[in-house]
Amino acid sequence: MFKIPLTGTMLAASRLSAKLLTPNSGLHTTAATLLKEIQANKLGNKLIIQGSYVPSPRKDYLIENKSKCCPLCSLDLNIKHTDVLILSQFVRPDGCMMPRRVTGLCPTQQKIVSKLVSMAHKAGLMIKMTPENCKKDPTRRKNWKKFNTYFDESTIKVYDNHFTQMKRDIILKYMQNKNL
Amino acid sequence: MSQFGRVKQWNTFARCWHLFDATWQNPLQCSPLIEKYLKGLHKPIYHPFVDCGDHVVIMNSKQIAFPGEEWRRRVYFHHTGYSGGASWTPAWELHEKDPTMIFRKAVYHYMKGNLFRRVVMERLHIYPDSNVPEEIMENITNQIQPLRPIPKTLDSYSNEEIEKYPKIIDYPQDYLLSK
Repeated sequence: MFKIPLTGTMLAASRLSAKLLTPNSGLHTTAATLLKEIQANKLGNKLIIQGSYVPSPRKDYLIENKSKCCPLCSLDLNIKHTDVLILSQFVRPDGCMMPRRVTGLCPTQQKIVSKLVSMAHKAGLMIKMTPENCKKDPTRRKNWKKFNTYFDESTIKVYDNHFTQMKRDIILKYMQNKNL
Repeated sequence: MSQFGRVKQWNTFARCWHLFDATWQNPLQCSPLIEKYLKGLHKPIYHPFVDCGDHVVIMNSKQIAFPGEEWRRRVYFHHTGYSGGASWTPAWELHEKDPTMIFRKAVYHYMKGNLFRRVVMERLHIYPDSNVPEEIMENITNQIQPLRPIPKTLDSYSNEEIEKYPKIIDYPQDYLLSK
């Protein structure tokens, strides 16, 4: 009976120490100013696998964001699903959308971009960024998927919750009635 | 008569041949444009009883595009006349069987139903690929401008172009780059 609380405290202490050492916490044992990359080198019979820091490939071409908004809100772009060069920045090499933790967008923009990315994939515009087992050719898809499709961006509707949706609809109705 | 006026007269009284490339074009949106040239609505001498229409050659009709879920949702109806003879075919199934059928039906159904419709439709030549016979290619004098731009795929850009394009976001500091 005595042992149970003791083990509990021990576990909590171990968790705390693990938390402190992880890079997500504020404390760092090494300088975490650069990106990481896993490198595998062969020296004779030995195979050395090590994680090393590398400078970001996007460093020179990055647009500075001075406002407090997210990078897409501050630029105020009208992005279409055919703008592949922009959408490919938010996508991993296998084609899936990166999470908000990585992209740093606001929730509404994240939802819009993720839908635009799926549209671009369905239209077969980003065949380069697909998993390895993909056939890489939209004409080899099944049934209706092999034919050309385009999408209307006005069909994307993103609301934070039910109440904001109601609010926005009421304002729009009022504007239409008053012909504003 | 001036030189320009003479050309205008040739264009009105001769049967011209127009070429239309249907890659990534919506046939339902293009049909009013093609009807204009088939009937000769763009000519100053147009009258419904005057046979002044032009020929239109449509190529790459296999590569037409539809918006969203239209390929599944659009259904073509046919009835044999016997009881239980009704059939509904989705657009993608019809396009598999005959890649020229959807475009022909779109233009045919857009036009007003009268005795001239079948005559006008005879002047429409549709080909699924770019392999148009030379006898027809010889006559062509004009190309109709397509309505929608053909979207560019990521493969069409070079690696250097993709790398040097202005970037909106950067990776976070603890991001693991994959090769």
